[in-house]
Amino acid sequence: MDRFVSAWHRLKALVLRKRLDRDLEAELSFHLAMREAEYLRDGIAPERARDEARRQFGNVTSFKEQTREMWTFPSFESLRQDVRFAFRTLRKSPGFTVVAVLALAIGIGGNTAIFSLVDSVRAHALPYSEPDRLVQLWGNVLRARLERRGTSYPDYSDWRKLSTSFVDVAAVDQQSVTLTGVDETERISSEYVAAPYFSILGATPARGRTFSDAEDVVGQPSYVTVLSDGLWRRRFGADPQIVGRTISLTGQSYTVIGVMRPDFKGITDRAELWVPFAVYAPPTVMAERGNRGFAPIARLKPGVTVAAAQSEMDGIAKQLEQAYPATNEKRGVEVSPLDVELVGALRPALLTLMTAVAFVLLIACANVANLLIARSETRRREIAVRTALGAGRGRLMRQLITESCVLTGLGAIAGLAFAQGAVALLVAQSPVTFPSFVTPGLDARVAAFTVAVSLTCGILVGLAPGLQARSIDLNSALKETARGSDGRRSQRLRNALVVAELAMAVVLLVGAGLMIRSVRNLIALDPGFEPDHVLAMRVSIPRANVPTPAPTPPGTAAPPAQPVILGRALLDRVRTVPGVAAVALSTDLPLDGGGGAVFYAAEGMPPVNAQNVPRAYFHRVSPEFFATLRIPIVAGRTFEESELTATSPALIVSERVTKRFWPGQEPIGKRVKFGQLTSQNPWLTIVGVVGEVKYRGLPDNPTADPDVYLPFADRNAQISLAVRTSVPPSTLVAPIRALIRSVDPSIPVYATASMDELIASQTSRSRFTMWLMGVFAAIALALAVIGIYGVMSYLVSQRTREIGIRLALGARGADILRLVVGNGARLIAIGIGIGVAAAVALQRLVSTLLFGVTAADGAAVVAIGILAVVALIACYLPALRATRVDPLRALRYE
Amino acid sequence: MGETKKGPAGILLPGTLDMLILKALNRGDLHGYAIAQFIQQASLDVLKVEEGALYPALHRLEVRGWLKAEWGASDNNRRAKFYRLTASGRRALEQEAAYWQRVASAVNRVMQTA
Repeated sequence: MDRFVSAWHRLKALVLRKRLDRDLEAELSFHLAMREAEYLRDGIAPERARDEARRQFGNVTSFKEQTREMWTFPSFESLRQDVRFAFRTLRKSPGFTVVAVLALAIGIGGNTAIFSLVDSVRAHALPYSEPDRLVQLWGNVLRARLERRGTSYPDYSDWRKLSTSFVDVAAVDQQSVTLTGVDETERISSEYVAAPYFSILGATPARGRTFSDAEDVVGQPSYVTVLSDGLWRRRFGADPQIVGRTISLTGQSYTVIGVMRPDFKGITDRAELWVPFAVYAPPTVMAERGNRGFAPIARLKPGVTVAAAQSEMDGIAKQLEQAYPATNEKRGVEVSPLDVELVGALRPALLTLMTAVAFVLLIACANVANLLIARSETRRREIAVRTALGAGRGRLMRQLITESCVLTGLGAIAGLAFAQGAVALLVAQSPVTFPSFVTPGLDARVAAFTVAVSLTCGILVGLAPGLQARSIDLNSALKETARGSDGRRSQRLRNALVVAELAMAVVLLVGAGLMIRSVRNLIALDPGFEPDHVLAMRVSIPRANVPTPAPTPPGTAAPPAQPVILGRALLDRVRTVPGVAAVALSTDLPLDGGGGAVFYAAEGMPPVNAQNVPRAYFHRVSPEFFATLRIPIVAGRTFEESELTATSPALIVSERVTKRFWPGQEPIGKRVKFGQLTSQNPWLTIVGVVGEVKYRGLPDNPTADPDVYLPFADRNAQISLAVRTSVPPSTLVAPIRALIRSVDPSIPVYATASMDELIASQTSRSRFTMWLMGVFAAIALALAVIGIYGVMSYLVSQRTREIGIRLALGARGADILRLVVGNGARLIAIGIGIGVAAAVALQRLVSTLLFGVTAADGAAVVAIGILAVVALIACYLPALRATRVDPLRALRYE
Repeated sequence: MGETKKGPAGILLPGTLDMLILKALNRGDLHGYAIAQFIQQASLDVLKVEEGALYPALHRLEVRGWLKAEWGASDNNRRAKFYRLTASGRRALEQEAAYWQRVASAVNRVMQTA
């Protein structure tokens, strides 16, 4: 109860400040008047009576002050004073203020920008309801190491039936379809999804409905489709009558049954269209338990953890392994949180950047602390006077920290503005494509982070001069001449800060150097083919034009031999475009994300198990393929025209195949078949051996499986063209497009990219990190140099008198130079030494982001060299100034 | 701000000033000057408070809710601020007084031992 009374009084005091002050004034003067009157009555002379009354009362101002404190929240009141005082002092030295605020703005702004990126890829950033309960189920296989493979429709159906951890499970796979019949033919990024997909994600349609269970039955295909809001507006003019309309996708009519809301783009973040999973592949293919390729999503029941779901799925995988040993040996399930799948890959890079930018901030803080210490040296007298007047040490400390917090606060405000721009620039210029739902911005969390950072910095930075002020010896400080000589302790502290700055700059520079080197290694990496001047593009030839409609798994079926028609004809036409040096056809190209794997068996091989059953990625290619991409032919030859049929037994393999099964033997003529040795598949004969290609990723393919090449039989609807050009590849995109359209306007041309671009996209995350690390390192270098320059020139100005005496006594300029530079050089050496040690330790931590670099790399040495030279220059300039000191003026300097 | 010096004559034990103020007001409403007079006279000039120290204490007690202040006219018809004990102030006085008695007699007993 009393507490309420107090709070009430104090709140009143806050509002009625002026009146309370007046009342207090009146109350005290009443008291003094009464006492004076009494003394007068006692016969004391008027002027003595007044003095006596005051003496009797004590220090009026002090008591007034104390009384006022009773009313107020004392800490708040003094804070208010301190802040006002801080602003006053800062205004008095604008140069210092601007430099300090700028340094802090860069540090705090950088941290804010990176934090807002990190924060926006956190778990609940996913644009689905309760995203922390969403998981993706991966079919895994244990081979030399665990490999992710996705699952098959029968496995998925069993998972769905047997598991109890999930609200529901839904198959999903990404694939493009060709939209025809509306304006221009276009490839549309789409998702094949089972009916529960939408409810699992919590997505509801804006119009119509999503798929029903009846449309989810394999073998009874329902050709229905759901459109995205974007596609509906872009291609159908936001037709309000769209539901019920028929559209043509890849030559098949589909009925539109719904349109999703604008923000829904599926789990691939770019889907524009959804079709039932039941039409994913022909029923016979979907019935194969061993035909794996997609990873379903699922929603955990409330309260079920990922670990619990994982252990249940482990059990189910065991059950399936026992029931179907032929297809499910060593097959497991991995339950992975969806957010890890969608944005997890960005996190390590962002955390590295967060660390780097935190270093930049620390360096900025060290700089500001240094400046503050230098200032507090010149403020020794002020501080001494305040102490003498009774300011407690704690009070003084609080005031100095308030001052630095005001500085960091200003820095934070400037930094926020800076971050706002930086984030937009980062996302726009980044070589990494952020998911569309990652929208970094300055929200409350980011603001809270910035406030916390700036307060922490303020306290850290203010602590240094604060501790300094505590050690001031009043007597000597007050007696000293205005220009105080630098205390030994503060010099040591300042030196320590410079050393720390340099060490951190070294770490950043080494880090940036390593990143740059690592990215260069990645770019310079031999991908197994020559990527420059190669244009990759895909065309989708409408089914009506293709001899047989369904794509056939290689070597399984035996349809009658077909002469190559359309693809080959297209190739001949493209070859006539000026600037085209060579063209090749294939089912997929390196790094374009296509292609599939098969198990195979080599004639005469020893028995194998699930771990080492031979597996290879297969591609069908035209004879020009190896020459166009400049993939070396190690032995034998490429295909011949007569071999370009689906049943041809000719096979070209990459070196790993022959090295595994026939080391040291003549590989040409050896035989291989798809499937197991015992299968009925026909034998294929090796006619050529080619070099390994980094077909599926840089710096290396995810698995060590080799590639095998079959003759291009022109039976696939989707064809990749590799065009080697004699002019810049991008200039040929339009002419080739125009040419293909002139052949048949219903052939969509898509996924055009130069091979260099495909390689660049493989290295984008590393380049992004490298780029930013470089920026941070440059800032760190600049700040560290400013820091050391500041310390050195302060040192020189402190010693002006001493230098003057030395010069007067006959010292030469070179001696002075040596004295000052030597001092700085010592600091530089220590700082760099510590930095190198720290960098070596840190390098282990970031090694996952690096490729083919060791800490003792040349790049790092160069970076350190640059730092040392620049830092020495920062020492040299003030030293040079010192030698120009006029002895006479220096001695009169006081 | 400056250092707070203790009264020149009788040194007040910490905390006793509050009690003396409460005691002074127990007999009726008084303004600050009258409280100072009362303490001085009742203690036969032994306890001489530095008079200014009275005011932080008065205001502290007011904020605490033990006193209530009101502006009124003094004997010589000047505007003065009068303090009155509140109910919780009275309770506080009883507690403080009882505590003081205990402590004082305990100190006395110690001092009277041979």
